[in-house]
Amino acid sequence: MKVSLKWLQTYFDEQLPSADAISDAYTFHAFEIEETQGDMMDVKVLPNRAADCLCHRGLAKELSAILDIPLKQDPLRTPFENRDIVSPYLKVEIEDPKKCLRYMGALVKGVKVKASPHWLKEALEAVGQRSINNVVDATNFVMLNIGQPLHAFDAAKLVQKNGAYAIGVRNAKEGEKMTVLSGEEYTLTPNIQLITDANADTPIALAGVKGGKAAELTSETTDIIVESANFDGTTTRRAAQALRLFTDASLRFQNRPSPELAAYGMRDVLALILDIAGGEVVSVVDEYPARPQVAPVSMSLQKINGVLGSDFSKGEVEGVLKRLGLETKIIGEMFTVTPPFERTDLVIPEDLVEEVGRIIGYDKIPATELEFHVGHPMSYMPDQARYRGIERMKDHLVEQGFTEVSTQSFAKKGDITLANPLDKNMPALRTTLEDNLKVALEQAKHYAPLVLPPEQKPKLFEIGTVFPKEGEFVELRMSERVSAWGESVGTFDNLSIAKLEEYGKDYVPVRYELGAYKPFSIYPFITRDIALWMPSGTEVSETEEVIRKHAGELLARLDQFDKFEKEGRVSYAFRLVFQSMERTLTDEEVHGVMKKIEKTLTAGGFTVR
Amino acid sequence: MNQSGRLHPISIAIREIADIFGRMGFGIAYGPELETEWYNFDALNVPADHPSRDMWDTFWVKGKEGEERKLLRTHTSPVQIRWLEKHGAPTRIIAPGKVFRNEATDATHEAQFYQLEGLAIDTDITLAHLKGTLERFCKEYFGTEAKIRLRPSYFPFTEPSVEVDVWFPAQKKWLEVMGAGMVHPKVLQNAGVDSTKYQGFAFGLGVERFAMIKYGIPDARLFHSGDIRFVYGFDEKKV
Repeated sequence: MKVSLKWLQTYFDEQLPSADAISDAYTFHAFEIEETQGDMMDVKVLPNRAADCLCHRGLAKELSAILDIPLKQDPLRTPFENRDIVSPYLKVEIEDPKKCLRYMGALVKGVKVKASPHWLKEALEAVGQRSINNVVDATNFVMLNIGQPLHAFDAAKLVQKNGAYAIGVRNAKEGEKMTVLSGEEYTLTPNIQLITDANADTPIALAGVKGGKAAELTSETTDIIVESANFDGTTTRRAAQALRLFTDASLRFQNRPSPELAAYGMRDVLALILDIAGGEVVSVVDEYPARPQVAPVSMSLQKINGVLGSDFSKGEVEGVLKRLGLETKIIGEMFTVTPPFERTDLVIPEDLVEEVGRIIGYDKIPATELEFHVGHPMSYMPDQARYRGIERMKDHLVEQGFTEVSTQSFAKKGDITLANPLDKNMPALRTTLEDNLKVALEQAKHYAPLVLPPEQKPKLFEIGTVFPKEGEFVELRMSERVSAWGESVGTFDNLSIAKLEEYGKDYVPVRYELGAYKPFSIYPFITRDIALWMPSGTEVSETEEVIRKHAGELLARLDQFDKFEKEGRVSYAFRLVFQSMERTLTDEEVHGVMKKIEKTLTAGGFTVR
Repeated sequence: MNQSGRLHPISIAIREIADIFGRMGFGIAYGPELETEWYNFDALNVPADHPSRDMWDTFWVKGKEGEERKLLRTHTSPVQIRWLEKHGAPTRIIAPGKVFRNEATDATHEAQFYQLEGLAIDTDITLAHLKGTLERFCKEYFGTEAKIRLRPSYFPFTEPSVEVDVWFPAQKKWLEVMGAGMVHPKVLQNAGVDSTKYQGFAFGLGVERFAMIKYGIPDARLFHSGDIRFVYGFDEKKV
């Protein structure tokens, strides 16, 4: 949710602190800040607060509670006169009250559609919205201000029957088509809810998602029908997903704002339209089949401190609830809160505990270590036997020269396939580790000179879940038999049925400390062998030092791998692996380095064989 | 003599984490990677068609009409339910395992990665215990200079919910490392635990992310590439 700091400031008499301080206030007491750009702040409203905080009013209210600065005025707490303009000019028919919880419609005559005043354009542009015309901008402004999605239809494009317009809310018919404001045509299915011109039974909007081209406002428009409704979250969400049409309205409805909000939205948008577009409200209709009940929630001071591990006083808790504007009855140390209609997230005592914790701040909660009580069931040693059994197998394999790899669980073919694979070439789940391990071994053989001594062949193992049709299990797979385990042991095992607890119970897995990761080069490497008659008394390590020194930084690995004695002289063979981090080496280049090394060694009394 | 092989850095990281939590009384539990919708979502208080489901991009398995929908678990949290159903409270466990997210991969995102779940339930476990436990863990894992802070967050299965940041003095910055909170009473009830008597905390951390921070690994896609050059990309010392 993009907010404008200037817009937020309109909620306060007191000057708000700096953008940094506001950002910190939100971050540590409410929501993360995605980014700040001058006057604009992008607030990552959490899903449980999307019903009341996807608007400036909601975020101003939060800031007011966190910083303990009162709101100048709260549009949701401002009482309004109930203007019942019951008239024969506008009717509303809701087909399924479970899918449309409330529908308010207003007929406004004599408006002048034109460009918005400067302040309105500026306010919308400050949060990345485009100004369209005064009426559309008014609906967007009120939505961004208090969270109620709104829409305006051109009444002249609707059919009148007996002097009255009729708005219908119904499911689309299979194959019914509708063109939205931006021009795309959609073919609909019955799980998508529509707003229709009921007199003509033609669609004029995708309910809660987007308006239709059929009743679009133009500069000629004079009479409008304003909608302030509440569409069911699931229905709206499914429609938006099915049409891949995610809008400001659908985002808000899928988070289920209270239908109470619709009346505030209608009040504010009508006032703004009359102010900037003129006209007269002829009719306001309110179809509100079932008003939701708000249930009080109780928590004790003991519960708060018992969940948070804190030592907050009654006064501190009272202060938080007051700052949040939560109507609270206090009896002794019991707090009973009747949440305001927009706080649909406050349902169980723990919800209130969270309010207390976050507003006071989690930095005020102590860090307490878990205890072991004597005689308590938790005083026994924790059960890590199965895990330790698996780790013991790994340690044994590593001792035998095996290296552990990890591969992807997705496969080209398998018994279980995904409905929505990420990679269409890998739509299934692996039924064995065998195939991946084969590929890994081929690669390992190729890269072996970089990581293993010349005479050592790579041996690999993997432990991972496989998914044959008989059911998933944890497989151990080795690239070859472990000779130490005897002739009868194969190259794989089902660890899910293996009795590993006894084997692992008292085992302490080997622990390793790793140094910082050293990235490998993506360029090819070149190997060269050199065999030398060493002068008597020369150590292998000295020779290696000489080679290293003259090979320079292109030497990726050096191994002494062969020894040959003849007539009192000893010859050693070395393997040099060359590789650059930046480029592909040429044979000539490596040849040059080798020549240099040979020259130096020869000068030092070595004989190259 | 042949040199010995190598353990994969994920194994090494999990061993270190398991060792630290083992000393704090946590056992180790496992659960299936192919999960039911119930264990992965509903039992964890994530209702169908709820926007909070968007927090997890899910791989669904092709199934037969009328059968319960199956999926690749999107987190290790289902192990909480399975473990509590079987063993009840009080309990302390960690559950390491592979999880799957259907999202485009890049240097910081892999569609499959290891998560490690933690769960401690008793009559008197508080958010302060969560803070104390995670602080001790982060100090032992990242070094005594590390410290943690909690920020408000939202997960359907915890209430209150927090995001945990760790301070790295060397880089002079806070990094978000895990989500946590007090287990939602509905989750305890769904696992057959008396939520009027028991309460506790849960947390989930990404093992690759921890290893990436600790060892300076630049790309999450290296872990499950099957490439031995990655496994050998570290100086290794037995402790």
